[in-house]
Amino acid sequence: MKKISIKRFTTLILILIAVWNFAIFYYFYSKTKTTIDILIKENIQTEALHLNHFLTKNFNPDQIDEIASQIDNFVLINKTITDIHIFNEQDRIIYNASKMYEDEPIDNHSCTSIKNIMKSDLLKIPCYTFKIKYYKKLDAHYYTVHIYLNKQYISNTKNKEALHILYMFLITTILLIFVIFFIIQKYVTHPLEGLRRYAYYSEYPPLAFVIKEFESIRYSLEMTFKRLKSEQENLYQLSTRDSLTGLYNRLSLQEKITWLISTSHRTDESFAVIYLDLDNFKNINDFKGHNFGDKILQNIATILLHTIRDNDMAARIGGDEFVILLPNVENEEKIHEIAQRIKLKLSQPLIIDENHYSVTASMGITLYPKDGDNFHTLLKNADIAMYKSKALGKNNYYFFTDSLNADVQKKINMERLIQSALENSYFELFYQPKVDIQTNKIVSCEALIRLIDPIEGIISPDKFIPIAEENGLIVPIGEWVIKEACNQIKKWEQTQLSNIKISVNVSGIQLEEKSFFNVLKNCIKDINISKLDIELTESVLISDFNIKLELLHKIKELGITLSLDDFGTGYSSISYLKRIPYDTLKIDKSFIDNIKENELFLNMIITIANTLELDIVAEGVETQEQLAYLKDLNCDMYQGYLCSKPLPAYQFEKLFYDCKSNQNNS
Amino acid sequence: MKNILSILTIFVLLIGCSSPKEKEIIISTNQWIGYAPLFYAYDKGYLKKLNIKIINSVSLAEAADIYRVGKADMVTTTQHEYHSLMESTGDIKPIILLDRSNGGDMVLSNKSVEALLKSKNIKAYLEVDSINKEILEDFIANNTLKLKNFTIINKDQQQIQGIRYTSKEPMVIVTYSPYNISLQKRGFVEIASTKNIDSIIVIDALCAKEELLKNDKHRLIQLKKILDKSIDEIQRNPKLSHQIVSKYISNMSYSDYLESLKNIKWINKPSKKLINFISRYDYTEETLLIK
Repeated sequence: MKKISIKRFTTLILILIAVWNFAIFYYFYSKTKTTIDILIKENIQTEALHLNHFLTKNFNPDQIDEIASQIDNFVLINKTITDIHIFNEQDRIIYNASKMYEDEPIDNHSCTSIKNIMKSDLLKIPCYTFKIKYYKKLDAHYYTVHIYLNKQYISNTKNKEALHILYMFLITTILLIFVIFFIIQKYVTHPLEGLRRYAYYSEYPPLAFVIKEFESIRYSLEMTFKRLKSEQENLYQLSTRDSLTGLYNRLSLQEKITWLISTSHRTDESFAVIYLDLDNFKNINDFKGHNFGDKILQNIATILLHTIRDNDMAARIGGDEFVILLPNVENEEKIHEIAQRIKLKLSQPLIIDENHYSVTASMGITLYPKDGDNFHTLLKNADIAMYKSKALGKNNYYFFTDSLNADVQKKINMERLIQSALENSYFELFYQPKVDIQTNKIVSCEALIRLIDPIEGIISPDKFIPIAEENGLIVPIGEWVIKEACNQIKKWEQTQLSNIKISVNVSGIQLEEKSFFNVLKNCIKDINISKLDIELTESVLISDFNIKLELLHKIKELGITLSLDDFGTGYSSISYLKRIPYDTLKIDKSFIDNIKENELFLNMIITIANTLELDIVAEGVETQEQLAYLKDLNCDMYQGYLCSKPLPAYQFEKLFYDCKSNQNNS
Repeated sequence: MKNILSILTIFVLLIGCSSPKEKEIIISTNQWIGYAPLFYAYDKGYLKKLNIKIINSVSLAEAADIYRVGKADMVTTTQHEYHSLMESTGDIKPIILLDRSNGGDMVLSNKSVEALLKSKNIKAYLEVDSINKEILEDFIANNTLKLKNFTIINKDQQQIQGIRYTSKEPMVIVTYSPYNISLQKRGFVEIASTKNIDSIIVIDALCAKEELLKNDKHRLIQLKKILDKSIDEIQRNPKLSHQIVSKYISNMSYSDYLESLKNIKWINKPSKKLINFISRYDYTEETLLIK
């Protein structure tokens, strides 16, 4: 259905009214015309009647001059009549009101009998006629009277009345249309337009309307908008504020920083972002519960709000992560001052549930535009700086720097490379032989992972393992190492290397993985289990000792041997050695490097190992002198560049065969 | 909304269903006792039902003039006005017979007929353009008087009432009821009347335009019935009828009213003989409503 505006609708209605008015006008116009016509005719009839009476009583053809003036007056008084003629029986004119026409012949054909006047057209009939009688003695003589009409007057009278009606119609119609238009405009169109605007913009409510229905709609809209506004404010509060602390949330922070960036473009003003993370908050939650943790966060929020300046902004963007935005920063000293103040305030004990509690926080600081030109970069870099602060001992703040960024970028690149290596098989296992000191035979080897970057070449584990441990990629890497080692054992089963045992390094993170045991079990399904050895450093067992001990026992039950790697560098607890079911003890290279100085310690370690019936492997043996010493100390095996550096499998195989061949030859 | 529409529909239907009002019929008449049924019916409201009005004039001539100029559709006439109107308009038909004068038209004089016979200069007052003319002609003819001895003075009956006279000069007045009463009281004596004139019958009838007879005969029949009814009621209760019609006939007293009624005979239900007789005056059965 076609839609029309109320203005157009009103115009249509007004046109209808105008047409209706015109119809009424036309009706009255016709009626008036007819009435005027009838009145004029009746007037002429009456005048004719009077004339008839007058002539009947007073007419004497021989003394017509005596009544001429009266007939003339008759014509003068009656505006509808312009002339009267009287004709004798011979149809000769004997009287003419305007001029005497003696002996003029009568023209009876053009005149209409006065009795037919009501049916005739006044403007078409030239004259009306009737007869009068004149008696001479008792003989009747007939005379004819012609009455001529003043057509101009009659026509003017009619037109004048018609014009009056026309003016009246036009004026009343125009007035009516204006009045209706004004009323509709004032009481319908404007209110509707006001309601439309109010409904569209929901602002500037119109004043109360006269028409009840409109007022009802206006009131309903007003109520609805009030409710919507209230709900909108609540929603805005919810969307911009953190429900726990009442601080701004991440979205608000982003908006504010984006706005500050656009403003700073014009003003060249700088601002700072402080990324604040509570130190060890996880422990608070773990030990004190989340409710307590929430109270801590609320207290921290209060402290921050009381510490920052009026135009600064505090937001909570994560569990224990806060961001303080410092606009209009003139210099770094000001930032130092605020950061120090925050640090100081936070270091004061909190009173929660009548208990005093101390928390600290680490902060990372970035500056716009130096440290980033958008929200994400500024926040990310502040986060990096905050981690650096944590790394530097927590409870402090650290400004983001380019070198810090470079380190992070390097780290990120390495993470990408590790990910890529896992997906594209850039990892390879190198094998470093373990040699029986007494027989000088290669009896086992340690599998050492290498990352072979297609561009950079071989990347040593100390560059990527710490990063992999940090981001958890060590778990899939560790799985790959075990699988690859098992595959190698399987490959060697049918060769002369079938007795070679392969040791793989397992990190603490890997060991904490719940799926680790099952992964291990799956990998060893098809191999000779006695050919797999797992090397663990002392630090692996520092946390969750009992759980890990249980796991080690289960691994042992599978038939896999365990080696204690880098012995002597960590805690080197004898009681641990007793409780953990190790098979081999690997003396750290640091003892071997200065073997003369460490002779006493080495002797002690070997004695303990022997007492505990552990095999001993000396790591990092590079010289014959070191080997001679170890032989004297009854060390079982050695590992090091003296024999070989870690080699790819095929080179290791070659080395093995070469050694064997040499031994056979000797 | 539905209700409003229903009311509007009913309103429009009612307007559409209402029959148009019949055109008004105007009867031009004068103060003649023979037209008492018309006044009676008019006053009683019988005519209103037929949308008929009357215009009452002083004389028959004036009544005829009104008809002549077209201000009336019907007119009461004697045969004189009937013929006169026939001559001047050519459009008149006798429709309803009312009465015949039975002494109602008369000749009054201050002298006897014998004295008049001897007179050479007799003044005769009459409405020449009326049945008076025929009465006077008949009077002159019946009494072997000579027209040349008469001075004809044409006055209407109202004017005649006011004339001055001396008993010496012989005068003749042709008049009719009720104008005769005051004249007789002034000393004029009836020397002839339609009661004793056999050669002329004065017929009072209601005439109409031919067009009316043609297009509205039904109403005319109704009018005839109403007039018949009125004549009956006048005859049955003259006292009441006098109260009703007296104001139309110069406030005539009841006794004069009764006297005047005696001077006419109702011919609304005419005999065959009468119809045959009046045919000489061009009253034909073709147009007359007899029953």
